[in-house]
Amino acid sequence: MSNEPIFETMIPRRNARGAEVRSLLAASGLEIEKDIQIFVVACDAGRIVACAGLAGEVVKCVTIAEPYRGSALACRLMCEVQMLAMKRRHSHLFLYTKPGNAVLFEGCGFHMLAEVKGHACLMENTPVGIRDYCDKLQPFRQTAQRIGSVVINANPFTLGHLHLVREARRACDWLHVFVVSENASAIAYAERLDMVRAGLAGMDRVTVHRGSRYLISKATFPGYFIKDSCVVEACSTAMDLLIFRKYIAPALGITHRFVGSEPFCRLTAKYNEDMLDWLETAAEEGAPIQVVEYPRFEVDGRAVSASEVRRLLARGDFAAMDSLVPVATLSQLRASYPRVRPAVDCRATELIGVM
Amino acid sequence: MCGTLESNDLLVKVEPRSELEVVISSVVMRQFGVRIRQVVDETLQRMEVTHGLFVIEDKGALDCTIQARVQTAVMRASECEELDWSVL
Amino acid sequence: MKKPRRSMLFIPGSNAAMLSTAFVYRPDSIMFDLEDAVSLRAKDSARMLVYHALQLPMYREMETVVRINPLDTPFGHKDLEAAVRGGAEIIRLPKTDCAEDVLRLEREVERIEKECGRKAASTRLMAAIESASGVVNALSIATSSPRMDSIALAGFDYVVDMQTQRGDGMELFYARCAVLHAARAAKIDAFDVVFSDVNDDEGFLKEVNLIKRLGFNGKSLINPRQIELLHQAYTPSEEEVAKAKRIVEAALEAERAGHGVVSLNGKMVDAPVVLSARRILDLARSSRASAY
Repeated sequence: MSNEPIFETMIPRRNARGAEVRSLLAASGLEIEKDIQIFVVACDAGRIVACAGLAGEVVKCVTIAEPYRGSALACRLMCEVQMLAMKRRHSHLFLYTKPGNAVLFEGCGFHMLAEVKGHACLMENTPVGIRDYCDKLQPFRQTAQRIGSVVINANPFTLGHLHLVREARRACDWLHVFVVSENASAIAYAERLDMVRAGLAGMDRVTVHRGSRYLISKATFPGYFIKDSCVVEACSTAMDLLIFRKYIAPALGITHRFVGSEPFCRLTAKYNEDMLDWLETAAEEGAPIQVVEYPRFEVDGRAVSASEVRRLLARGDFAAMDSLVPVATLSQLRASYPRVRPAVDCRATELIGVM
Repeated sequence: MCGTLESNDLLVKVEPRSELEVVISSVVMRQFGVRIRQVVDETLQRMEVTHGLFVIEDKGALDCTIQARVQTAVMRASECEELDWSVL
Repeated sequence: MKKPRRSMLFIPGSNAAMLSTAFVYRPDSIMFDLEDAVSLRAKDSARMLVYHALQLPMYREMETVVRINPLDTPFGHKDLEAAVRGGAEIIRLPKTDCAEDVLRLEREVERIEKECGRKAASTRLMAAIESASGVVNALSIATSSPRMDSIALAGFDYVVDMQTQRGDGMELFYARCAVLHAARAAKIDAFDVVFSDVNDDEGFLKEVNLIKRLGFNGKSLINPRQIELLHQAYTPSEEEVAKAKRIVEAALEAERAGHGVVSLNGKMVDAPVVLSARRILDLARSSRASAY
């Protein structure tokens, strides 16, 4: 009974044994990812023999030293991770792992969501996560030929976004607009959603949807949320798009996805490119979705950009904002950010494939 | 959450929901899926549980283990300290 | 024939797999542990697991003991409810230091028996002695209640209290003797400490032979492998059995013939010798019974 590995939690940055975790991961070809907040480690006779990293709701950097592999330790490790996550108020967890390990984790209570063949798979710790989400979408399904979709961060909601939605709506019978719900932007999700609803008020044949963990979230597209991440791996955009194609689009009968061209951010530009691959051309689960890209809306010869608006917001320059955002957005920003706020995030990179 | 994923045991996860739903996955789903379902339903009924999402990952547990884990999960979820033994 | 109580197998109450399968090892008695083997966060689930396991048919056929947490912990009382209502034969009270500890337990057990309709006085008590005080109070503990079933020595906590360590057994010398004497004086059973090195068969057997000679009824075990070894060590040799048979036969013969005195090979055989011979035959019988 006393010979079993004991479990501990640790924060590698702050812990002298962080190097042990690093080398354990290195042996499996993994690195400690920047967004991991805490690790669960299994120690046997003082040595770390297994670890699993937790980044919010996402479990990654999971590895078990060779001699300890076998499902018993894996199960205990995943149980400990889930218990730790629960204490941190996350009961719904996602897991990134290599495709070869999927079976092992299925035995640990995780269920497959999507696989980028040969690279990675995303799993979740409930058999009914994506199912419940799609069930909630069902009532919004429309019977028509061309069902479009747009995913925006709206940070904030600009005339550029409005233009995109108008164009997209013209090109289809019904348009579903999703607002990214991950609260990692300068402007809080609740406010962004309000802005979008206000900006599209009165428009028929449009449904505004709350975002979800399954659509451009730290779970499906973690690379997007890691600050200054310029390295864009093949699979980082794929997962999100595969899930869209496999589950979300079929639930609503989506046939088209509209995006605005992306001149500024490499990551977002790549996302748009990949969209064409994964949604339209690749042989993957779910009917192909046609991807349509529109050129950015311009004002005075310059493409409207949300980051520009945020810069103006930081300076409190509402006058200059006037030509870039709809009236509702402007009044909301005035109300929420009355004073100059230099702390407002001025990320150079744009968020989301629209603007 | 209650239990483990070790052989002959089960993991029970509870989440708030407005209705009652039980989702079961088991290594012996084919042979015992129905029986597991029965035991869970009966246990929840006797404890007068009317809502919540119960996700059960079974690794071949005996009925008595299922009962025990479900009861503990319910008590933890409802933060109930005192147990009314007559309902068991 | 008195049921043998040579082996008491400890099972952590939080381990569902072990609870489901431990009966196959056929120890003389099985102890479900809710105390030291169970982590704080698993106390509630272990309690429920044990409550249900106690009611399984295969455990109904065995002697079941439940080690509850001390009554002054947040867990003790709830453990006791589960154990008594679940049908445990014996409650093992850890860290019993004085007779009052037993009496407090007894009062609670009585109350619960009444509440749940369990036959009065059907739950027996085992006091675990784990400290110097306990050892010194062993006799009053052993005689404190008619429900007292047995007294057990718990090595680890005791040696810590004595400010020493587990070694060749000398450190337990007095404690073992005290506990045994108290048990015998009170006419209850005595159990020896756990041998924790599961890989040291030789050491284990040495200890078993020692405590068997001292007169302990049995020993607490933490690994099923130890059961076989222990039972073998407690099995009388053929020679011992043959001799015992002759003594018992001589006693029966004397009884039939109406003689007041038993004699064998011209020598007088005292009553205690006959009793001892009967015990040996009992042990032999139970060894055969459990070895299939």
